[in-house]
Amino acid sequence: MILLLKQHKLRKQFESLRPQLYRIAWSWCHNADLAEDLVQETYLRALEKAAQLKEVEKLKPWLMRIMSNLHTDCLRRRQEFVDLQDLELEAESAEPCEHTEQQNAIHRVRCAVAKLNEDQRQVLTLVDIGGFTYAEVAEALELPIGTVMSRLCRARKRLKGLLQKQVQERPKLRRVK
Amino acid sequence: MNRNQHWDLSSETLNALVDNEYPAAEKAELMQMLLDDEAASAELCRLQRVKEMVKTAYEQPPVPQPKQGRETSSKRNRVVAAVSMLLVGVMAFFLPGLFNQPATERFVLLDPDGRGAHPAVAEDQEVRIVFHVASTTRARGEDLLGEIQALLEDYRSRGEKLRVEVVANGEGLDLLREKLSTQKQKLSELAQQYPNLTFVACLNTVKRLRVEQGVIVKLVPEAETTASGVAYVVKRQQEGWIYIQV
Repeated sequence: MILLLKQHKLRKQFESLRPQLYRIAWSWCHNADLAEDLVQETYLRALEKAAQLKEVEKLKPWLMRIMSNLHTDCLRRRQEFVDLQDLELEAESAEPCEHTEQQNAIHRVRCAVAKLNEDQRQVLTLVDIGGFTYAEVAEALELPIGTVMSRLCRARKRLKGLLQKQVQERPKLRRVK
Repeated sequence: MNRNQHWDLSSETLNALVDNEYPAAEKAELMQMLLDDEAASAELCRLQRVKEMVKTAYEQPPVPQPKQGRETSSKRNRVVAAVSMLLVGVMAFFLPGLFNQPATERFVLLDPDGRGAHPAVAEDQEVRIVFHVASTTRARGEDLLGEIQALLEDYRSRGEKLRVEVVANGEGLDLLREKLSTQKQKLSELAQQYPNLTFVACLNTVKRLRVEQGVIVKLVPEAETTASGVAYVVKRQQEGWIYIQV
């Protein structure tokens, strides 16, 4: 009975966290269908393991741990995720005038994030997109806080470098008299 | 985040500042130090900008495409409800005796979409739980029905909507068999008290028992039927019901 009510409460809380989980999942795999499957699978797994969640305050990192493990298993097992490097190819094939400057900027950031290694991307997206504290990230990914901080530092440093390089490589607009 | 009093404006410190990891007092001290360190201030701004860019870039990710062949839940529910009511209406017209049969012989067939005489149309805020009973002992039957009753009472007392289905297949079908069930009295009481509770028996199991063991299964009058218990619970899960295997 307690488990039933726990599962019911979990379901309600999960629904409120779903958009955030989806954004994070999408930032990991850059494929909407796969991200949706990952979130749904996380939900089902969380319901199965509802009895393991002892403190409701730990729900977010607990769900993220489940999603992270599922994501890792998927990468290891099926290798079905979009090769994130292909994002750059997609951008090159589009006509620049088809997108607004803002859309282009968003695309550049996403391409840069895609170029981070998996460890750095996970930490960065959990903090910047998910709003996780370092302690929550450490709990979710089962890492020491120090490791979380160093990965985040390296991620942002690399990201800065990649975005700077993109700006330098863009063709400069020239004013036509 | 706790630090000793000797601060340094390292890369990790600056990142932690950007992420609001420091309590107010420590943050104030660090901000004071930044006033005297132009390079660190500039780096802090750059890190803040990177964080904002990442956040903005993922604020509106693309949504997944709807799967082919599957209508939206609310539309599907309305269609199913309409079909159910039509089916019941037709049956009542052409078979007036159907609903007047003695209780011990009444079978109510669910329509192909499994909604039956009482369409389980999802209402707003309604919690829907499907219990899957695939094996059972006498003790389990008592525990299960007791827990379900407690759950129904709990929701009723709080005025919250709940719909429960108990789907039995395999050995679990014993719960709903006229000759073998030890919970017939309880099933009858619960079915009368809670119109939001449905018992569903798997016809595949009924058929298998007839073919393999020559047993003609008679179900309790409270049981509705579905072609395949497993397919039924899978469909419920896809529809978003909470699934609990007993």
